[in-house]
Amino acid sequence: MNAYASTFRMRWKMETQYRGAAFGGLFCQLFFGLFLIALYRALYAGKPQSMPVSAIVTYVWLQQAFFRMLLSDDEDLLSKIQTGSIAYDLCRPLNLYGYYYMRSMAQKALGSIMRSVPMILVAVLLPGGWGLAAPASVPALLCALAAVFLGLLCVCAMTNITMGLTMRTLDSRGVRAMLNLLMMTFSGNILPLTLFPDSWQRVITLLPYAQLLDAPIRLYTGEWALSQAPSVLITQMIWTLLLTFLGLIIWKQNQKRIIVQGG
Amino acid sequence: MDTVKLYLRSMKMLLRCQMQYPVSFLLQSLAQLVMTGGEMMAVLLVIDRFEALNQWTGGDLLFFFGLMNVVFYITECFARGVTGAFPSLVRTGRLDGFLVRPRGVFTQVICYAADPRRLICIGIGALAMALGSIQSQVIWTLPKVLLLLEAIFFGYFQITGLFLIEAIFCMFSVKSVEVVNALTYGGRSCCQYPVDIYPRPLQMLFTVVAPFGLTMHVPGAYILGKPLYGWPAWSAFLCPLAGGVIFLIMYLFFRRAMRYYRSTGS
Repeated sequence: MNAYASTFRMRWKMETQYRGAAFGGLFCQLFFGLFLIALYRALYAGKPQSMPVSAIVTYVWLQQAFFRMLLSDDEDLLSKIQTGSIAYDLCRPLNLYGYYYMRSMAQKALGSIMRSVPMILVAVLLPGGWGLAAPASVPALLCALAAVFLGLLCVCAMTNITMGLTMRTLDSRGVRAMLNLLMMTFSGNILPLTLFPDSWQRVITLLPYAQLLDAPIRLYTGEWALSQAPSVLITQMIWTLLLTFLGLIIWKQNQKRIIVQGG
Repeated sequence: MDTVKLYLRSMKMLLRCQMQYPVSFLLQSLAQLVMTGGEMMAVLLVIDRFEALNQWTGGDLLFFFGLMNVVFYITECFARGVTGAFPSLVRTGRLDGFLVRPRGVFTQVICYAADPRRLICIGIGALAMALGSIQSQVIWTLPKVLLLLEAIFFGYFQITGLFLIEAIFCMFSVKSVEVVNALTYGGRSCCQYPVDIYPRPLQMLFTVVAPFGLTMHVPGAYILGKPLYGWPAWSAFLCPLAGGVIFLIMYLFFRRAMRYYRSTGS
């Protein structure tokens, strides 16, 4: 367990090195957030929906703030797979799956903390109707925090599945582009899931993608009442366990018949 | 004129080059298809839920989405040397080689790369534009067709001009500068919808600084028969020229910046 904890710590330190890049990214993300909100406000002005506009604004800000949780691939691992230096990792006295799980967790956790703290600060300070609204209640906030943590576990399990598949195909740019697009669409980053047609929502909120950020945000805004929280959290846990299990199988099989690229 | 011929010839060559790997080309095109298709789905879902946006009907919105995609991806396809390859040219020092050849640096940069995977995105954009214009019952006349071509032509120059800003920064900082993306990719996402729906500061940004509004939305609105801001018809034919102006300004800056270019030495 100790080894995994220090993997997490090492990666965490590495991530804090690029503060300049983080600042540029933050600026872009703020800009995108503002533009999306302007768009939804204009749309709402023409035809108000059952869900208030402030909930959509909050949705957009939280999605933007935790954007790095969704899209951040471990470039190191990808190049290791391509150059064959993954062979060194095979010699480590660790479970590879756990090792890379911890690495991506550190990357995603820190990436989103570094983005989300300043962004949420700015979003709170914006005038009413443009800024982040307060959570529905204190227990709702706590539930949302727990749900974000479960979402993080879930997205790391997903990343490891993608990586496991990458090991089999080598050049996986096409596959990864498609998986990433699926993730962006069905996790609510491109368009809030709450704006999808109502009949679709019944299905897509059960997909694993919705467990990452959509479920925590809905708990935060109070769209899902506290009484529904246990079932939401249980859905998240089931998906996390299933995806981790699937990933473990893929990685185990990969290790059995791995072909190291020479060079 | 000679330069234009050279440019067209290199584009043809680069496209033919990429087609030598048909399977890889098809797979990557498929990924692009899914990506742009996903964006189009988002627009369709928005239209499905909200029906209209101020005076713009669903068909109008689809038309604007298509126009933006056609113009942006034409730029990414045929000006890849500026939009994508430039930072690596600086980092690897390959730009040095351009300095000793008997051609302008800009000409060589723009002839350096093409990205045929974007062709499929241009196709989707054209499809969205066609669908949108049918839904909005646009009656196509010769001036309207010419105006559309003018908008696409100057849109190409405008977006190339915006990407030149990044190239200029890149000469000084070596690393690519993410902040400029707010103008280029930000402008692309923002101006998929007509600019007049946004609050004033955003409108100013995308009419004065990065004039997507002038090159695409003013002519687009004229074609749809709903002049933007109620401006007269002749303005629709004049406004796209702003794209050319932006390009010219940035081109001059680019030439100036080249004088300060210092090789990374790699």
